[in-house]
Amino acid sequence: MAVTNQALPGAYQLLNYRIDRQISRGGFSIVYRAFDEMGAPVAIKEYLPSSLVLRTEGDIVRASTAENLTSFRYGMKCFFEEGRALAKINHPNVVRVLNFFRANETVYMVMRYERGRTLQQQIQMRQDQMSERLVRHVFMHLLNGLREVHTHKLLHLDIKPANIYLRTDGTPVLLDFGAARQTLTTNRPKLAPMYTPGFAAPEQYRDPDRLGPWTDVYGVGASMFACLAAFAPQAADARIQEDHLVSAKKIWSGQYSDNVLEVIDWCLRLDPLERPQSVFALQKAIRDIPPKKRKLTFFDALKRKLFSELGA
Amino acid sequence: MRFTIFQESRKGSRKVNQDRIAYTYSRDTLLLVVADGMGGHAGGEIAAQIAARLFIERFQQEAKPVLKSPLKFLQDSMLRAHAALGSYANQFSMLETPRTTCVACVVQAGHAYWAHVGDSRLYLYRQGGIIGQTKDHSKVQYLVDQGIIGADEVAMHPDRNKIFSCLGGLVDPVIDLGKRTPLRNGDVIVMCSDGLWSVLSKEEMSTWLTSTPILKTAPQMMAEAEKRGGSEGDNLSAIVVRWGPETLTDEPSTTITETLGLGQFETQIDRTLTLTDRKGAQRDLSDDEIEHAIAEIQATIQRYRR
Ligand SMILES: Nc1ncnc2c1ncn2[C@@H]1O[C@H](COP(=O)(O)OP(=O)(O)OP(=O)(O)O)[C@@H](O)[C@H]1O
Ligand SMILES: [Mg+2]
Repeated sequence: MAVTNQALPGAYQLLNYRIDRQISRGGFSIVYRAFDEMGAPVAIKEYLPSSLVLRTEGDIVRASTAENLTSFRYGMKCFFEEGRALAKINHPNVVRVLNFFRANETVYMVMRYERGRTLQQQIQMRQDQMSERLVRHVFMHLLNGLREVHTHKLLHLDIKPANIYLRTDGTPVLLDFGAARQTLTTNRPKLAPMYTPGFAAPEQYRDPDRLGPWTDVYGVGASMFACLAAFAPQAADARIQEDHLVSAKKIWSGQYSDNVLEVIDWCLRLDPLERPQSVFALQKAIRDIPPKKRKLTFFDALKRKLFSELGA
Repeated sequence: MRFTIFQESRKGSRKVNQDRIAYTYSRDTLLLVVADGMGGHAGGEIAAQIAARLFIERFQQEAKPVLKSPLKFLQDSMLRAHAALGSYANQFSMLETPRTTCVACVVQAGHAYWAHVGDSRLYLYRQGGIIGQTKDHSKVQYLVDQGIIGADEVAMHPDRNKIFSCLGGLVDPVIDLGKRTPLRNGDVIVMCSDGLWSVLSKEEMSTWLTSTPILKTAPQMMAEAEKRGGSEGDNLSAIVVRWGPETLTDEPSTTITETLGLGQFETQIDRTLTLTDRKGAQRDLSDDEIEHAIAEIQATIQRYRR
């Protein structure tokens, strides 16, 4: 069996936080649920790249070779990038960072704990298709968060259902700014960025100089597509070779409004210039066409007006 | 010692400022340094930082309370900075050694001494005229010396960035030492990177700085120079020292070093490094840098807390 990094055990005291359990283990980190000294739950992300075996026992992270240490320290930059990016953003639809510290020879990021599940889990659990109403609800809110991200001149670069968290009240939270690791484009094989096939835009594979808001827009379109299809669209690098992606408009015509389907297809254009160029443009497109020929109640009308004012 | 000192470094239209300026003084000796890092990635910035720091640190070790030989100090420090850049590159297995220009000046016992490598410059003005200046280690300067182009063509020449001597280069640096020059009250020393001298002639600098209170006009001069650099503007930096008590303004701007205790230093050096050059220098983080990054993130969290 392959050797893997040990997670911190339950009840472990990490500074003023007490570890409850591991929630998830990813390529760069382990996420724990923990409690602060007031007993409030927090999520703590521990920087611990899985490609480097650094902790087979105990709590201290130790690099076994000088080369390992170099890679470990080098990758830490990306973790800092994530912290830097998130620290600046205080928005209800973006995960909030509460603290950032060094311990056990590695670094930790403490986040507000969110109750719910990822959009990925939501998609996998459901037997029936997701309703248009829910899709709109989730993405309109998510786009508000993403707009805030772009306002700070940051790109997320890894928008996908696994990184969109749905609170129990249905509002989304954008997670995992690990790919705001724009810095990690150099050829260090051990810590190469992992773009998620299906959700990464073509320029992320071949043209890092052309990254922009439209790159995240591709991820949003792909995630919306996945909500309807329950699987990811064809990977962009394969699409460049031979595009087999059938348009959303063709697949789901009649089941969803033309507006939503057209928006998905628009976001998934291979040419970055042909996609919505900003989150605002995308929001406008989703909003502009009335969802259904249903009579608007007074409340709906008011809500819409408010939305458009807030959004502008 | 009495003098008025101004220092400023601006990014111009570049993403990263690879210029570093620093000064330090004890009761009896003053040291000024300007370094202009070269090359892409984080290398240039690191190189300039290392050079500036090395000068400051060595000065504080050796000026006890005065330097035995200012010229020897300048020459040794240049050579050590050059060696330090080489070993830094080695330590982090960098493909390319970080490189920088450097001009440094010591004022001690009423005399100025300077040394330079590359194309960062020193001008010494007396009553508006030039009485001392460095000569660039650059291809265009060579062309001027050979009479192939005129001095006024240097700033615009396409090869004006090509220098043949620098710290951290493959070959040992050519170090020019300026001869010991007695200073008079009112003399003005200007040290600058090419981002400044390429947009402002030495005559113009003289107009800006030699008959006016420098703390007022030097910032204006920097703003004007940055404007001239426009959207292509390079990093630009300057240290300006007006020797002697300030007579051009009533404002209390003169630094009086006699109030410093023996063995005490006043130092000005920017210690921040842009860690996250987008192209990502292939370098891991030092403990200092980790602490620095964490402190910065925590400060940001506090700032955006609602
Ligand atoms: N603030 C939070 N509250 C609750 N759960 C969280 C929180 N942050 C993360 N999680 C859980 O941890 C999982 C992984 O988090 P995240 O996507 O940030 O890391 P990752 O994908 O492991 O990152 P990396 O690719 O850097 O290893 C999420 O899918 C979610 O289930
Ligand atoms: Mg993730």
